[in-house]
Amino acid sequence: MKIKRHNTAIRFTHWVTAMSIFVLLFTGFGQMPVYKRYYVDQLPGLAWSSNFLATLYLHYLAAMALIFISAYYVTYLIVSKRWDIIPRRGDFKESMQIFASMLGLAEEPENDKYLAEQRLAFAVTAFSVMALIVTGILKVYKNLPGMEFSVGTVFWLAQIHNLFTVILLLSVIVHLAAFLIKANRPLVASMFTGYIDREYVIHRHAAWWDKLNKEHREAGLTSPPVHPEAVLIAEQGKSCLDKTGNSS
Amino acid sequence: MTMTRRSFLKRATISGIAAASIMTGAGKVLAGTRSTGNYAILHDLNKCDGCVHQDTPKCVLACRVKNELNFPQPQQPIKNYWPQPKHEDWSGKRHVTDRLTPYNWTYVQHLEVEHQGKKIEVHVPRKCMHCDNPPCSTLCPFGVNDKTAEGPVVINPKGCFGGAKCRDVCPWHIPQRQGGVGLYLEVVPDLAGGGVMYKCDMCHDLIKQGQQPACVNACPRNAIMFGPQYELHEYAQNWARQNQGYVYGDEENGGTANFYISMIPFEVINLAIIDQDLDGTTGRVDMAVNIENPLDEPGNILSGLLMAPVAGVLAAGISTYQIMKGGNDVED
Ligand code: HEM
Ligand code: SF4
Ligand code: SF4
Repeated sequence: MKIKRHNTAIRFTHWVTAMSIFVLLFTGFGQMPVYKRYYVDQLPGLAWSSNFLATLYLHYLAAMALIFISAYYVTYLIVSKRWDIIPRRGDFKESMQIFASMLGLAEEPENDKYLAEQRLAFAVTAFSVMALIVTGILKVYKNLPGMEFSVGTVFWLAQIHNLFTVILLLSVIVHLAAFLIKANRPLVASMFTGYIDREYVIHRHAAWWDKLNKEHREAGLTSPPVHPEAVLIAEQGKSCLDKTGNSS
Repeated sequence: MTMTRRSFLKRATISGIAAASIMTGAGKVLAGTRSTGNYAILHDLNKCDGCVHQDTPKCVLACRVKNELNFPQPQQPIKNYWPQPKHEDWSGKRHVTDRLTPYNWTYVQHLEVEHQGKKIEVHVPRKCMHCDNPPCSTLCPFGVNDKTAEGPVVINPKGCFGGAKCRDVCPWHIPQRQGGVGLYLEVVPDLAGGGVMYKCDMCHDLIKQGQQPACVNACPRNAIMFGPQYELHEYAQNWARQNQGYVYGDEENGGTANFYISMIPFEVINLAIIDQDLDGTTGRVDMAVNIENPLDEPGNILSGLLMAPVAGVLAAGISTYQIMKGGNDVED
């Protein structure tokens, strides 16, 4: 049986974010004189990459998409009050425990919808994105005719923007590296389809599973315990059980 | 000056942004002091005779003497810019005065043009234009190329990494590179960086002390004027109107702080430059008229950037409402 993990709004946010950040990183690096020197512009289809104005324009467009989706996501969080991914007190200790459990030194804690280290990684990523948006907008102002910042401002804007670019790049690499770990693989499919196996939730996200059960009872429903959203599917005639073809 | 559509749009955008930035509290960092504290240079090509009887034009010589201590002192050997099989090194050619190099920040183009059936000699001292909105400075990835409050555009040789982006994005490709000097030597000189970029800085240090740039004082024919940008701009416009002459540098690249006035149209001068001066390498500089500033038309992008968060909030409002109603989540 399948449990809903990522709704449409989250999947939309995720893939617009991923694509815009990919373009921003590529064109952002293109603002430094590197693609010509290292022959990147000799690769098929990438001749434009050493044209500073082409990459600047693309950088602006992708920034627009990222600002759009950031505002979308912040509004979504506030309105839906789904704070599962926001870091909590004790996350640092808990994520240490998760690492220890990977080495067989401790028991894995009962995870909520996201692991403690996911929530921490999210905070780093979100803060970097915020810092990049703020410094980026100031950099756009600076490029306009008639705008002058002081030497110090221009220098520090560039340094901060570049620093958070590196931090964001590292956090994206860590994010992707997480899927080298087998236990995390099923989440990849979920970021496309929205659904994840119930067994996976019971084993990897016991705390979240308890929460879903509680919500389920409060909704006045009987077993099998599933997310209210999944129940709605059942009510609309599409049986939850059809999702995997067998009951658990 | 008549207000063209472009300059109107430009002003409209600027005031829109100014308003927006005041509302967002960013107004404090914006220093819109373009017209007041800014200085400029004006070359009167009708007076300049190219110092043809001197070994070196006086303005070029004065520039070299004044900047002697600012010229690069590279460490040999200078490595290639891996993986490129080349590097830029002018240290063995310091004597060159007929082009821009890291050791020669102004040069004079000696031209023969045909105008109204007559052959005329024209001499054009060339150097950085100190643009109002210089792409070399705004697009410097390290933020070490500065449009100063006094008007000169100044590259900080201590922070420059020598990637030569400023030369690529400058419409005239003014800054010139010397390898084997600068910050990149401290990082990974085998893999990244290329030296330091050099160009005219309008004698920024002298200007700050209330003096004039070296070339201005050196000219025996008073062909180079120095003063507040708006005064020289007005002077050039009036002169052109009264004499049916031409101005260069007032509109080019969105406006500059280096004006030229001449009785000969600059289209004609530019053709002569292409024919008699350019040699296909950087350091020889054309004089194309009405060069557009690549950063001048941000209109659509800008409104896009301003609208993006609004659109995001609206879209999220709608989709979250649907999710909370329980509708959206189930359709898949
Ligand atoms: C293109 C490569 C990418 C892939 C394949 C990918 C894959 C995934 C997957 C499978 C998840 C689900 C993890 C879970 O539910 O526990 C996820 C979550 C997430 N990813 Fe990515 N990702 C990519 C790029 C990015 C980028 C560039 C960012 C932004 C820096 C990003 C930010 C996030 C965030 C914030 C989450 C948590 C989302 C949530 O459920 O609220 N991802 N990603
Ligand atoms: S002429 Fe070129 S180098 Fe000089 S300020 Fe303008 S863009 Fe920069
Ligand atoms: S500007 Fe003056 S100093 Fe320079 S070449 Fe012309 S006459 Fe000589």
